[in-house]
Amino acid sequence: MLEYQIFFDYAPILLIGFWLTIKIVVCAIALGIPLGLFLALGRRSNFVIISFLSTSFIELFRNTPFIIQVFLFYYVLPFYGLRLSAEYIGVLALAAFGSAYFAEIIRAGIDAVPKGQLDSARAIGMTDWQAMRNVILPQTLSIVIPPLTNQTLTLIKESAILSTITVHELTMTGLMVQGETFRPFEVFIMVALLYWALNETIATIMRKFEQNTKKNRKAGSIGNSSTTLKKSTSIK
Amino acid sequence: MTSNFLELKGLYKTFDNITALNNVSLNVSKGEVIFIIGPSGCGKSTLLRAVNWLTPPDKGEVWLEGNLVGSSSSKLTIKEAKLLNNLRAKMGMVFQQFNVWPHLNVLENVVRPQLVVAKRNKANAESKALKILDEVSLHNKIDEWPDHLSGGQKQRLAIARALAMDPILMLLDEPTSALDPELVGEVLIVLKRLVNNGMTMLIVTHELGFASEFGDRLLFMDGGEIIEEGSPKKILTMPKTKRLKMFLKKLDITSFKH
Amino acid sequence: MNKVKFDISYTFDAIPRLLEGAFVTLQVAILGFTLSVLLATTITVARTSLNSKIFNSILAFYISFIRGTPILVQIFLVYYVLPVFGLNLGPFTAGIIAITLNSAAFVTEILRGGLASVPIGQFEAAKSLGISGYALWRKIILPQTFITSIPPLVNEFTMVLKATALLSMITVVELMRVSQQIYSANYHPVEVLSGTFVIYFLMCFVVSRSSVFLENRFIVKRAR
Repeated sequence: MLEYQIFFDYAPILLIGFWLTIKIVVCAIALGIPLGLFLALGRRSNFVIISFLSTSFIELFRNTPFIIQVFLFYYVLPFYGLRLSAEYIGVLALAAFGSAYFAEIIRAGIDAVPKGQLDSARAIGMTDWQAMRNVILPQTLSIVIPPLTNQTLTLIKESAILSTITVHELTMTGLMVQGETFRPFEVFIMVALLYWALNETIATIMRKFEQNTKKNRKAGSIGNSSTTLKKSTSIK
Repeated sequence: MTSNFLELKGLYKTFDNITALNNVSLNVSKGEVIFIIGPSGCGKSTLLRAVNWLTPPDKGEVWLEGNLVGSSSSKLTIKEAKLLNNLRAKMGMVFQQFNVWPHLNVLENVVRPQLVVAKRNKANAESKALKILDEVSLHNKIDEWPDHLSGGQKQRLAIARALAMDPILMLLDEPTSALDPELVGEVLIVLKRLVNNGMTMLIVTHELGFASEFGDRLLFMDGGEIIEEGSPKKILTMPKTKRLKMFLKKLDITSFKH
Repeated sequence: MNKVKFDISYTFDAIPRLLEGAFVTLQVAILGFTLSVLLATTITVARTSLNSKIFNSILAFYISFIRGTPILVQIFLVYYVLPVFGLNLGPFTAGIIAITLNSAAFVTEILRGGLASVPIGQFEAAKSLGISGYALWRKIILPQTFITSIPPLVNEFTMVLKATALLSMITVVELMRVSQQIYSANYHPVEVLSGTFVIYFLMCFVVSRSSVFLENRFIVKRAR
């Protein structure tokens, strides 16, 4: 029933598609996280126009299917004279989609930092941006890493949709191989397994990392509440 | 020096329906140590946060050494914001909840604002930080993370961080209220040294013993207004108003020592 | 470049047909989501009652596979693979099956969280009153589980709503497919897709904002 030969014959070409999937996701993250940070800060901005534009961008991209965003990018960019290859359009679309989610994650992370931290930074004479850079964002980092990783896993999966605009990533390659071999079961199982392996690898690394930081934080968090700490200190 | 080292003129602030500051004016001379007492919600913390414009009042003005800190809560121009940040750096603020920065170690907590705000070079900032951490007896903790410090050590770190900016005025908002009783002493020692060095200070506190020993002036606030002011010993032993009498009575019952 | 102007009349002309497509999208989403909630509820009850190691590991495998692979690939698997086994379903049925299987994994996880928030005393109290089996789940445990799960369930429904757009890839004529049909006839993809984009946004936005409303309604009902 199963034709094992297909696994061996088409593994190399599928791996090439898989490699493009990884490259596209990495580029989309590299673009999407800075853009997400920008949107998160924009949404909190005191300037009404900036906060309105940021909020609109975030809500529009979070409340529509990725596939239509991809098609819009594919047709709109050339419409306004920007001719790019499908790969680049795919990266831009995935980055824009991801940035809307990254923005909300970062915003939640910023909100989780106690308000007194901003007070102390401003009271010592820092500008809002200096306070953000030196005091708030570094503390946001450990809070946002787990949800950012989850969002990365989502981006890997959503990147399959770029096959619809003929980006030769893993799913597109799978469709082509299936058209050639007429063995959909073998092909799509292989495609699914590759996505699954990548997802599980990243998720496992993340779990390990989280366990480690939790351990470290536990050691440090005893001192967070002054009432629980009974360490005697020298009173001179 | 002059009587108008720090001037608060007609400060007024409401939160929702609560009047936190109701036409409060105050002149502070250089070197003066002023304690502010009052029941919770009386506006004492708001007053302190109005001085460095951290909570901008709805009305009124604050002047420091003839410079306008702020004069209304309308949007600041870029130039005004820059001036405000310069003035804030001169006003060290210490919070009840310490607000030390947990992602930076003890030394970096004191060095970072010197680099970012005062634009000092790293070597100068570090030697200054070491000197001040020595003064607050944290010289053996410079590599420690704030989360590993006791409350008293955190507060001394917060004071050191403010002092490193060479402030001409210190604003202390209940600096010992969040501390276990046995840790209060070590912070008071540091504050006493500041008094002896002639630092101008505004201190919100419930430590009446400390206030009467070291204060030049004591303000009693209630309902967003200054109800009584004068020498601490006089005010604490001979309260004039009913409200202050009630307040002192309550404090006497709740505090076991004094 | 001769047609750089955005001609909104193409958007307006497309709207009646797009709305028909949107109606199909809603039907598919509601059907798929309802089936997935039924399947997930069955799984949840079975898992708790059976407490069987084999069942649990099969379930863990299923959930991990669904969460670890793209829904588009899952749709292709169902659509292309079932005929190989002699099951010749149309694209609509295959699409519904794929959406249901996908969403059920996520809903199972949501219900697991909701169930965990039901105090163990609720089971014990019911048992001491002689309530067990079907009545215990139907009258006591599941209502509490669902009410605490309203926000994530609403969120999952918007995910399903968005996922239905992928069924256009296996020729289900829903909103996305309709818009493709329109612009492949009039060659104005930007105008048509913009209209489609707005319709999707309105549907998803309204659904995601309904979470608060639903929660209030159910909590009030329960308090009465």
